[in-house]
Amino acid sequence: MIEYSQSENRMVLKLVYYGPAMSGKTTNLLTLHELLAKDDRGDLMVLDTVDDRTIFFDLLPFFLVAPSGLKIKVKVFTVPGQVKHDATRKAVLQRADGVVFVADSQIKEQVNNTNSFENLEQNLSLVGIDIETVPLVIQFNKRDLPEIIEAGEIDRLWSSSGLPVLFSSAIKGDGVVETFAAITGRLYEHLDEKFGLAALHGLAKDAFVNQLCRIGGL
Amino acid sequence: MNRHREQIEYLVGQEHNLQELLQSLEIRGLLHEALSAGVLQVLIMLEDGSAVCSEGTQDSAAAGREIRMPLSLEGERVGHLLVRGREGDAALDAVAGILRSAISIVVHNNLKRMMTAEMHTSLVTSTYDELLAKNLELSASETRYKELAQNLEVKVRERTEELGRAHARLLQQEKLASVGQLAAGVAHEINNPIGFINSNLATLGKYVGRLLEMLDWYQQQTVSADRLTDSAALKAKELKLEMVKGDVWDLLDQSLAGAERVRKIVADLKGVSHVDEVDGATFDLRLEVERTLSVMKAQLPADATVSCDLVDTPPLAGNGALFCQALVNMIQNAVQAVPSGLVLKLGSFRSSEKVRFFVADNGSGVPEELRSRIFDPFFSTRDVGAGTGMGLSVVYDIVKTCGGSISVGDAPGGGALFTIEFPISREGV
Repeated sequence: MIEYSQSENRMVLKLVYYGPAMSGKTTNLLTLHELLAKDDRGDLMVLDTVDDRTIFFDLLPFFLVAPSGLKIKVKVFTVPGQVKHDATRKAVLQRADGVVFVADSQIKEQVNNTNSFENLEQNLSLVGIDIETVPLVIQFNKRDLPEIIEAGEIDRLWSSSGLPVLFSSAIKGDGVVETFAAITGRLYEHLDEKFGLAALHGLAKDAFVNQLCRIGGL
Repeated sequence: MNRHREQIEYLVGQEHNLQELLQSLEIRGLLHEALSAGVLQVLIMLEDGSAVCSEGTQDSAAAGREIRMPLSLEGERVGHLLVRGREGDAALDAVAGILRSAISIVVHNNLKRMMTAEMHTSLVTSTYDELLAKNLELSASETRYKELAQNLEVKVRERTEELGRAHARLLQQEKLASVGQLAAGVAHEINNPIGFINSNLATLGKYVGRLLEMLDWYQQQTVSADRLTDSAALKAKELKLEMVKGDVWDLLDQSLAGAERVRKIVADLKGVSHVDEVDGATFDLRLEVERTLSVMKAQLPADATVSCDLVDTPPLAGNGALFCQALVNMIQNAVQAVPSGLVLKLGSFRSSEKVRFFVADNGSGVPEELRSRIFDPFFSTRDVGAGTGMGLSVVYDIVKTCGGSISVGDAPGGGALFTIEFPISREGV
């Protein structure tokens, strides 16, 4: 958590889209920015990029207010996927409240997925976050491409982890909001245990998720 | 250090407020320009009503219109822009709109810049920390290697001393072996004269018995002189005194000569071993060579010929015993190089500063490429076990202790020529 102030009745949360280089983390954010209702989200901030690749991070904030008046701000970040930017990933990961791991579905990218996931495990432990308890969902992106690993195979591989696995084509807008809903749902459960969102603030899980994932322009 | 570090540690995503992002100097010019476009007052207010920045004066009489526009940060409403102007000012809305857009851009860009700077700072910090840790590690490893290097020096010194001791031990053994060979030669030499001295003394004992018996006989005789004379002649003939008279001097001469030989051999041996000499003395080259040849004669093959041509030389600095040892080694070397038909030439000549002593044999000589190595310890061309490889090394060391130098070359007509140069000491001249 970035910030929690009881006096201001305000909570700032951090979600991080993690994954190998070019797996579509920034595209996820661009799609969310495009699809979700303008009232509930802030501006998308894309920090400097080199050759269309993130070197620091991208940021998309979301806002909602609980019936109790608690103001909740969810800042969604991406990390640079390239191996050389490990220090940046570590810095962005600090005090994260939830992680979306964006994997590349292409068969040739599986080694990169594995390496990146191992890197996530390592960095989470380095910044003092327990991977067993932190809200974490897996997204297999680029389902629109040929030569991708089969969904059955992915389910078989990941079922033992107990983590939600989602399929997406961020560039086409498929599965992106569903992924965001999955992580915000997990985030809610995690927060509710600590802060009593339902009991103290009158904020139910559905209300939390629906407000954050409200499709705009409908 | 730590406290200082905490001040520049950022959390990626930490919140910023409008004051941080709108430095008044940056924005003031913008607001001022609005005034020149006819606006009376411009205010940037936070949600709680406090002003971040303001330009112009609140002239309520003149200000007929007021425009309020929200200002947001990351899409979140954090304050508003207040523009007051004259009633009927057609440009007021446009100026307010431009102003708001400009301020939004400044806020957005400043936020972006701050986040980039923060990110950069935290990267630099973590990189610096890693470098510090690496540096610490490297220093530790450097210290470790330094210690190792120092230990290595000690180790090398220890090993060198050990080698030195082993070398000295080998030299001692080599010396003992030479002494043993000398002793064998001496024993052989002494055996001959002592053999005939023994035999002669036994015969002399018998002869003395006969003479004594003759004397007894004379004492017992009481008969007349004529008969005595006859009887005496008879007895003398019986005892073969004529033969004894002739032989006894030969025996005595031989035995005396043999005893003299033994005495001389022992004297030479003492000379060669220099048992009664102290170190640091000088030696007479000719005397030592002759002594050594004398005691080594028995070890040379029967068909060997030795010639010796020595000039008079002043006393040379060095231990005579050691020089003898060196010479013994060189002669043994020649004997081993030429097992049969050895022609050994020894000689000396001198200049005003140096005495050169040479030993030449008629063997196959020393090949050019081996000449730099034959004086090295353990270097041997013989089969393993046949030579210690120490003979010439000992010679080299001894020559050095005498202040001289040794070299090897070709002897005229083939064979090895060892030349030793001794400096002539000033005192010796």
